[in-house]
Amino acid sequence: MKSIIFDSLIFAYIFMVAFIYAYLGPFVVRGDEDQWVGLLPMIGLSLILFLILGAGLNLLLKRGRLYTLGALLFEAEHIKANRIPTPLTKNFWFYQLMIAFVFTIAVGWDATEIKLYELFGYEGLFGADGQGGALGIFLSLVNPNWQILPQGILAIIETIYIAFMATIFAIPAAFFLSFFAAKNIMAGNSVLFGIYLFIRTVLNVTRSIEPLIWAIIFAVWVGIGPFSGMLALMLHSIASLTKQYSEIIECVNEGPIEGIQATGANFIQTIWYAVVPQIILPYVSFTIYRWDINVRMATIIGLVGGGGIGTLLMMYQGQALWREVGCLAFLIVIAVWAMDTASAYIREAIK
Amino acid sequence: MNSEDVILKIQDLEKTYPNGVQALKGVSFDVKKGEFLVVIGLSGSGKSTLLRCINHLHEPTGGKIELNGKDITHVHGGDLKRLRQSVAMIFQHFNLVERHTVLKNVLTGALSRTNTLSSMLGFFSAEDRQMALEYLKLVGIAPKANYRAGQLSGGQQQRVAIARALTQKPEILLADEPVASLDPATCHTVMDHLKKINEDLGLTIICNLHFLSLVRQYATRVIALRGGELVFNGSPKDITNEWFEKIYGEGAKEVHVN
Repeated sequence: MKSIIFDSLIFAYIFMVAFIYAYLGPFVVRGDEDQWVGLLPMIGLSLILFLILGAGLNLLLKRGRLYTLGALLFEAEHIKANRIPTPLTKNFWFYQLMIAFVFTIAVGWDATEIKLYELFGYEGLFGADGQGGALGIFLSLVNPNWQILPQGILAIIETIYIAFMATIFAIPAAFFLSFFAAKNIMAGNSVLFGIYLFIRTVLNVTRSIEPLIWAIIFAVWVGIGPFSGMLALMLHSIASLTKQYSEIIECVNEGPIEGIQATGANFIQTIWYAVVPQIILPYVSFTIYRWDINVRMATIIGLVGGGGIGTLLMMYQGQALWREVGCLAFLIVIAVWAMDTASAYIREAIK
Repeated sequence: MNSEDVILKIQDLEKTYPNGVQALKGVSFDVKKGEFLVVIGLSGSGKSTLLRCINHLHEPTGGKIELNGKDITHVHGGDLKRLRQSVAMIFQHFNLVERHTVLKNVLTGALSRTNTLSSMLGFFSAEDRQMALEYLKLVGIAPKANYRAGQLSGGQQQRVAIARALTQKPEILLADEPVASLDPATCHTVMDHLKKINEDLGLTIICNLHFLSLVRQYATRVIALRGGELVFNGSPKDITNEWFEKIYGEGAKEVHVN
C-alpha cells in the first residue's frame, strides 16, 4: 500500500511538472503571481487526475513486474528476498529516480532564480563606478574599525549571558518534562500515553517555530531588549532539551534497575541509584552543548531586537558602516569559536 | 526430611505473562537450608521466570510460595522490600551500576536498611561499610574497591555482584545464569566463589545453569524444567543420558566446560 501511494506521488509529480512546463513555458515560476493564482484550481484538479493516473500506471507496471521506486523502499522483506539482483541500469526504479531528480533540479533552478550573469558580472562585484560593490564591503569588513571594540565586547558579553540565563532557566523545566516525554516511562497505560503524546506534540510545535519568531512575539510582549531574546531562547531550549533528555531516558539500560530493585530498595532509591547515574553525564553534556548553540542563536535573535551583539550589528549594518560591522563580526567569530572549543573539550572529558 | 529444614516451599507455581505466554505450568519443589540447588533446562523453559517469581521481579499468577513457613506469594510495600532483602539475586549480565565505584555498588546491598535521604547523599552506616569491604575481600576484589564497576572484567563484575548480594544479609541467593556470559576459566572462579559461600557461610543457593558439567561439579541437588513443567528432581549423579535427552530434547549432545 505504501509502495503504491509513494509511486503514485512520484508519477503525479513528474506528470505535473511536465504539464506545467509544457503549458506555461519553461520560466513559469518567475512569471507574475496573478497568473499562478488564476491557474490554481485547474492545477489542483489536474493534480488529482494525475494521482489517479499515477496509481493506474503503477498497477500496470506492477503487473508488468517492473521494479518501481516504491517497491524498492516499502516492499515486504520476504518479497524483496526473492528478487533477482540486476545491474542498476536494468531496474525501472533507477530511471524513475533519475527523471524525478532531473525535473526537481529544473524546477529548483527556476525557483531559486539562479542568475549566472549576475554572479560573474562586473557591476555587482565592483559597483557601477568601480567603487564599492560587494568587494568594497568585503574590504571594509576585513579592515575593522577597532574603536568600537569596547562597545562590542560589552555587547558580546551580554549575548553570552542571555544564552546562559536561557539555558539555566530551561534546565529544571526540561528535566521535569523529560520524564513525561519518555516513551518507556509513559507507555504504562492509556492516560499516561495520552499525556506523552500531548507533551510531544506541544514540544514539536514549539521547536518547529524558529526562535527568531518567538523573539518577535516576546519583543511585543515585554518590549525590545535582552529580556525578550532570553525568553525566546529559553522557550526553544526547553523544547529541545526536553526532547534530548527524554531520548536519554529512553535509552536507559534496564539491567541496573532490576539489580537495584532486587536488593529491596524503594522507588526513589531505585531511580537515584539505577537511573540517575546513567543519565546525569549525557544531561550535562547536552546542556553545555545547548548553551553553546544558544550563544550562536542569541546573535541572530539580536537582529530582531533581542539585545546583545546582534542588535548592535543590525544598527551598524543599517547605516552601512561596514568597518564597524567587521569589528563585531570578528568578536562573534572569537566568541563562537571559544564557546565551541570549550564545550567540545568539556563534553569529551566527561564522556 | 525434617520439615524445619525446608527454607523455601513452592507449590503449583504458575506464571502467565500478559501476552498470554504460560512460562510456568504448576511447578512444585522444596528447598532445604544450605542446599546448592541447580535449575537446568533449555532457554525458554521457565528457569528465569521461576527465580524472578521468588523475589517478585515478576508477579506469580498462581500457586503458592512459602519462605520459612510464611506465605509470600503476594506481598507488597514494606513486606516486598523485606522479602527482596532476604532473597538476594545475581544476574547473567551482572546488572551493576557501571558508573559507580565497586564499593558503592556493594553498598547498594544495604539500601533496604538505609533511609532514603541518607542513601541519596551516600551516607551508609559504618557497619555496612565494614561489611561491604569484608565481602569484597571474600570475593577477592578488595584492591579494586575504588575502581569504576564498568572498568572491571565480566568475572570481576559478577564477583562484585556477589558481594552486593551478600551485603543484603540474605537467607537465599538466587543466581540467574551467573556464568552464561563468561569465558570457561572465569566461569569456574565465579562458581567456586558461590560454592565457598554456600559451604562456609551456609547460604542457600538456587542457581540456573546451562552446562551439565558444571551441574555435576557444584550442585547438591538438581531440578529440571521443560516447557514450564518440572521434569526432574534429584541428585546430579542421577542425570543419565536418558534423562539428558528428556530434558534437552532428543538428539541433544552434552557440551563440557573445562
